[in-house]
Amino acid sequence: MIRSGPGRYLFLALVALLFLFLLGPVLLVFPISFSADSFIAWPPSGWSMKWYAAMLEQPTLGVALRNSLILGSIVTVLALAIALPAAVALSRGTFPGRDAIMAGLTAPLLLPTIVLGLALLIIFVGQGLIGSWPGLILAHLLITVPYALRVLVTTLGTLPASVEEAASSLGAPALQVFFRITLPLMTPGLIAAAAIVFLVSFDEVVITLFIVGPHLTTLPVALFRYVESRTDPLVAAVSVMMVLFTLTLVVVLERAVGLRRAIGGKAG
Amino acid sequence: MAAEAAPPHLELHGLEKRFGATRAVQALSLSVGKGELIGLLGPSGCGKTTTLRMIGGLMPATDGRIIVAGRDVTALPPHRRDMGIVFQNYALFPHMDVAQNLSFGLEMRKIPADERQQRVQRALAMVRLEAFAARKPRELSGGQQQRVALARALVIEPSILLLDEPLSNLDANLREEMRNEIRDIQQRLGITAVFVTHDQAEALAICDRIAVMRAGVLEQLGTPFEIYERPANEFVAGFVGRVNRAAGHRGADGRLLLGDVVLQGTGHAGAGPVTIMIRPHRIRLTDTPPEGIGWNSATGTVTRRTFVGDLLSIEVALGPASLLVEQHTFAGAVVAGPGDAVRLAWRAEDTLVFPASPAGVFPAPPAGVFPA
Ligand SMILES: Nc1ncnc2c1ncn2[C@@H]1O[C@H](COP(=O)(O)OP(=O)(O)O)[C@@H](O)[C@H]1O
Ligand SMILES: [Mg+2]
Repeated sequence: MIRSGPGRYLFLALVALLFLFLLGPVLLVFPISFSADSFIAWPPSGWSMKWYAAMLEQPTLGVALRNSLILGSIVTVLALAIALPAAVALSRGTFPGRDAIMAGLTAPLLLPTIVLGLALLIIFVGQGLIGSWPGLILAHLLITVPYALRVLVTTLGTLPASVEEAASSLGAPALQVFFRITLPLMTPGLIAAAAIVFLVSFDEVVITLFIVGPHLTTLPVALFRYVESRTDPLVAAVSVMMVLFTLTLVVVLERAVGLRRAIGGKAG
Repeated sequence: MAAEAAPPHLELHGLEKRFGATRAVQALSLSVGKGELIGLLGPSGCGKTTTLRMIGGLMPATDGRIIVAGRDVTALPPHRRDMGIVFQNYALFPHMDVAQNLSFGLEMRKIPADERQQRVQRALAMVRLEAFAARKPRELSGGQQQRVALARALVIEPSILLLDEPLSNLDANLREEMRNEIRDIQQRLGITAVFVTHDQAEALAICDRIAVMRAGVLEQLGTPFEIYERPANEFVAGFVGRVNRAAGHRGADGRLLLGDVVLQGTGHAGAGPVTIMIRPHRIRLTDTPPEGIGWNSATGTVTRRTFVGDLLSIEVALGPASLLVEQHTFAGAVVAGPGDAVRLAWRAEDTLVFPASPAGVFPAPPAGVFPA
């Protein structure tokens, strides 16, 4: 670590530059959203709130937002319902192929999303799932369950087995041990998993692009479509709302459970 | 001791645990009387925890049977064994306060709420933690957590109490206090208990009987007195208490030789190379050694003298061997220093003789005192 002298300032400058590079585009969105122009330009010729007003009057984006929120909520509940028993089985059970199953279940994280999207398109077309709620939910579960599983397996891995053993020695059958001991102790991990699943679902574009239909679309996809045809600062206003929403969720999460602790650590 | 005469309450018959090729516990048989506190003593990795976990049902036995009060519990899951377990890391429920921790086992037994509360209060009083009922475990000191763990295991009035190195996470002076507290409570309740420890002093201090284990095998089962004074083999003698260890020889005529000194000893009588073990504090430095049968004496040269306040440690070279002699100090005592010739005397019954161990069993130096 550089502690003093000009090296220290150079180091700080480098860090600042890096932050600017990573966050610059996001930060730029904020002033542009207050632009009075009718196209995206820098610097704006004037300032106004009109794009925020326009946002509220945009029916497609409003519906898409509602869809994204509904989708995110359903996917969060289902992803946890699937990942929780799987995580318990994977981290408490001892059976052959345990590690292989864990690897298989987290594999979608490593696949290029475009490949996943194409694969889903091919499968869904035949089943009539394109542009349908079940199709969207299935696709988002495929992407989010691995995240939930990783977080929950990590959580379970940090719970000392002896606490559960103590409960069973005190007379608690397996289900009681789970509901009275394991589950309450998993709360931080469950909250973290829920937030991550929701954010991933809320943010997902690539795979969703393949399977949305004319009557059912999500906010990120609607935004993507919007900028294909127009380049007004409305998207900037929407982006600001999305950034603020995501940030709020992350901050609340960090305060509540310590996000880094919940998602960090080893998976097995 | 009285507890020995009690009818067996816990019996292990040929208990065995294998992990792949590792035989963590081998054909372990012993029986524990009602109200008896039995210690499982041995070095780390000798199978103590594994044994305890099999008794508590936390780990299936590979072979053998576990009988409690005449009933075979080998196949029962832990929640139906009625045993209270105190874990090394306490394993308190972090999301419950002290009273809830204690109440949990009673709820599982469907004890009505008012009786539950009374029993929790009594248990808290027993470990002197009445004022801490509403604290969370993380708000307690190590010693207090330990007492909560003990109270939680006892409040259900289990048929057997199992303790796995319950004191190893406490600092030294608290450890001594807690071990006496555990012993007091155990005797007051008259509960059968199995106490796992690797600390021989702890085991000697509070156990009715001690089972000394090594590498999954029961080496000796006996009262603390028997274990200390009549160790069954070189391992037990070396593990329990401090002891000098020297290579000797017993001739075909039965004469026991340490170098060229003829000794009288107790134990192994077979001819051939032997190991002679003598506890340091049983050897006296004296100008007038007691004569006659029952006493050994020899002359050696002091090689080192260490003053540690209440004790004086003197190392004496005696032929090929080096013996450590420990003497309690008193003001005005005249003691020998390095280079002085001294006369040593000790009793024949303190001269433990064992067949010489095969090379490699003890990596310690071939002679001297151990544990160091
Ligand atoms: N779950 C396990 N899997 C494999 N080997 C184990 C397991 N538990 C214990 N062992 C082995 O069994 C032996 C006895 O362990 P343990 O009963 O914990 O010893 P102690 O409590 O006396 O220190 C050790 O060699 C240990 O490595
Ligand atoms: Mg152990």
